[in-house]
Amino acid sequence: MAKKLGFLVNIERCIGCHACEISCKSFYQLEPNMRRRRVQELPEDVVGTPVRAFVSTACNHCDDPACKKACPVGAYTKREDGIVVHNQDLCIGCQMCGKACPYSVPMFNPVKKKMDKCSMCYDRLDVGQLPICVEKCPLEAIQIVDYNEVQPANAVSEIPTFADTSITHPTTHFILHKPGKQSRRF
Amino acid sequence: MDQTYSITRHVCPRNCYSTCSILGYTKNGHLQKVTGDHKHGYTKGLLCAKGYNYINNVYHPDRLKYPMRQYPRGSGQWQRISWTEAIDIIAGKIIELNHRYESNLSLALNKYSGNMGILHHAMEGFFNGLGKTSRAVGNPCWSPGMDAVYYDYGEHQTSDMQDILHSETIILWGINPVWTSIHSLNYIYEALRRGAKVITIDPVYTETAKKSDTYIQIKPGSDGALATAIAKYILEHDLFDREFIDQYTVGWEELRDYIDQLSMEEALNQCGQTIEAIQFLAERLAKHRPVYIWMGFGMQRHRNGGQNIRAINALAAMTGNIGRQGSGAQFGQRATWKFTYHILNPFPDDKRNKAGVRPLDINDFANDLQKQQDPPVKFLWITCRNLLTQSANVEELKKALQTLELIVTVEHFMTETTQYSDLVLPATTQFEEWDIVASYWHHWISINQPAIEPYYESKSELEIARLLSKKLNEYKDHFSAFPTDMEDEQFIEQEFTDEFYQALHIKDWRELLNGPRRVDVQKTAWGTMEFKTPSGKIELFSKQALDNQLSPFGMGLMENGSNPLFPYILLLNHEPFRINSQFQNLTSFKKISREPCIYLHPLLAKEKGIQRYSMMKVVSEKGEITIRANFSTDLNQQTLVIFPNHPLVNKLISFTAADMGKVMTSGKGNALNDLHVNITKLC
Repeated sequence: MAKKLGFLVNIERCIGCHACEISCKSFYQLEPNMRRRRVQELPEDVVGTPVRAFVSTACNHCDDPACKKACPVGAYTKREDGIVVHNQDLCIGCQMCGKACPYSVPMFNPVKKKMDKCSMCYDRLDVGQLPICVEKCPLEAIQIVDYNEVQPANAVSEIPTFADTSITHPTTHFILHKPGKQSRRF
Repeated sequence: MDQTYSITRHVCPRNCYSTCSILGYTKNGHLQKVTGDHKHGYTKGLLCAKGYNYINNVYHPDRLKYPMRQYPRGSGQWQRISWTEAIDIIAGKIIELNHRYESNLSLALNKYSGNMGILHHAMEGFFNGLGKTSRAVGNPCWSPGMDAVYYDYGEHQTSDMQDILHSETIILWGINPVWTSIHSLNYIYEALRRGAKVITIDPVYTETAKKSDTYIQIKPGSDGALATAIAKYILEHDLFDREFIDQYTVGWEELRDYIDQLSMEEALNQCGQTIEAIQFLAERLAKHRPVYIWMGFGMQRHRNGGQNIRAINALAAMTGNIGRQGSGAQFGQRATWKFTYHILNPFPDDKRNKAGVRPLDINDFANDLQKQQDPPVKFLWITCRNLLTQSANVEELKKALQTLELIVTVEHFMTETTQYSDLVLPATTQFEEWDIVASYWHHWISINQPAIEPYYESKSELEIARLLSKKLNEYKDHFSAFPTDMEDEQFIEQEFTDEFYQALHIKDWRELLNGPRRVDVQKTAWGTMEFKTPSGKIELFSKQALDNQLSPFGMGLMENGSNPLFPYILLLNHEPFRINSQFQNLTSFKKISREPCIYLHPLLAKEKGIQRYSMMKVVSEKGEITIRANFSTDLNQQTLVIFPNHPLVNKLISFTAADMGKVMTSGKGNALNDLHVNITKLC
């Protein structure tokens, strides 16, 4: 059976340190404004007080990728293992993919005049290495999971602020944060 | 693919718990990327966002390329000059001042923790080599706590972080490792997985508190009061460890009698907590051992700061939570810093007697600078710090600097401090120089080798010291004792001894090029239960403290003082993407990090009519600033927070002496977190 690789982001472990984002930037030597992964804060009023959490997302390597449909030159392919690959050699920089993606994942590189996005480091995966963000997260909060094989306990596909998953069926899943006990004095 | 790069070893020299080893990847003389070094047993190949961003620091478009002269000072009219001219100007002024005052006391050095590498002591060594000069002494960071730990234990040790895996209870007391020490979190998570409970005690509901099982909110600076309340509960309920106390402590009877007289009600009132919280903490400390306590630096930046640390130390001791695997009251360590510090002592025989410093308190630098009149300070060398954004009494400082004849700053970038300088000398980064760096938290030592040529005309501080020394000796034989003929590697070599090599299990410092090494110190702090105090035991009653006009008791209720005109406390808490004024100018951080602002509770804001994101006024005894307001329910309604990299915050700060610091760091700490303020809406 074909694989269905996707990210599993553990919000319980994530501390919002941005090491995933910046280690990826450093490894791929991206221009100052470019990034393939981003860490965003889920504000208290979204998650429900008093929990505040961070969520790290890259390309969601969707089952039904909107970028691939929108690309006029066929620069996007979906591999058998589920990874959505963008071929920069074919890309004409029209930015249609960026507009089509509900998660605004593909970014325009103003120097190369091409789009750019996370490839789940497939060339590393193919030789048995982990993607950079997975390897460099100090808290082991990002994993690659074959969702055809396992359905991790407590994993959810929808979190506040995340676009409706029925559009493109993203493979990214999340483990939510659990609040502790507090003795606060006002 | 890595085969195409040349790979070099580096270490992050910033003032941070982690002191990470870094690998640099260079191609065609250009540093292409950096990663962590897997051979480092504490950081394990992982860096923080700041670390991964070093490429953008090294090749930042604003990085200084040449020596620059500003004439007149403060005019913003900068001119590129050659190194020869720069060294001539500096050496000429030093000689002139030496003739005028017949001493070198008019020369002053102000260096701090911008780079903690051992070879970055070069300028101190250079100044020492001139005989007696003026020097900023003391420490704005950890001096009260260092004295407190000294009074209690006699020296400074920490446990290996792996030790925490044996803990049943972890108390993160006034520390926010999620923001300031990310590598420790993995150990804490692993301890959690093994069943430990994590408790965070902090005035702010920090990101760390959010990751903890329990959060206890206290009033700023009341850590000692909280510890005392817990101790009192422990006494009343017979929860102390009698055997441990008898064997390893002195002064128990005196301390017990003293605590007996204190009022629980008053203790609770001071720390702002309930008896239920006290009971919970007391039972964790006594019944769920070992207890690992990590004490942060913020709680000792109070007038009673040293006493806060002593109180927690005493609490750990009376519950038998010292020296046993998985326990301890951790603060910071010096045990692995086994360097010879020969770089500091280049005195030839004829200068040795004349060496020494005329001290200028680093925390009260502006006033001390103006006080010295015999002779006055006329020449200031600023290095490893951004003096103008990280000092108290900043207006007085600006005034004091006007009386100086030459101000030289060594920097990577133009800063607020360079605006007040005559000369700016471009410094190399850790990717362009040799160095060795140790940590004040973990026990690993790393080497730093050059990966690339110095950026344009930048030079290492060691090279600058050598150049200057050489020039001065051309003017006048034997004027400077700083060695001019020693290579960088020789400077490293002389920092090691056979004993140090043994502790590192190496025979030569070059073996560090194969990877960082752990210094062979005890895995559990005070595991042998040997204490270097006068009594050889943990001192719950310290005669040394008494001799220094301090409370001899490791505990007490010290009212921290309040001021009805300034009813709120403004805390200066560190943020994750910058270290004080460092890393301010990186594009990617501007994206991920919020605009500098002040945080206050929305209910307090409502009471004062302050809108979110509007401008508000903050007034202290020292001054007034206008700043953008942001809301945070992480605070109580009497506390505000600002990050210490905020360019305006100095206007509010003067020097308020903390209780301790004199013994270990030659000067009392600054009670930076006793910043009483009032707030109003702008209009």
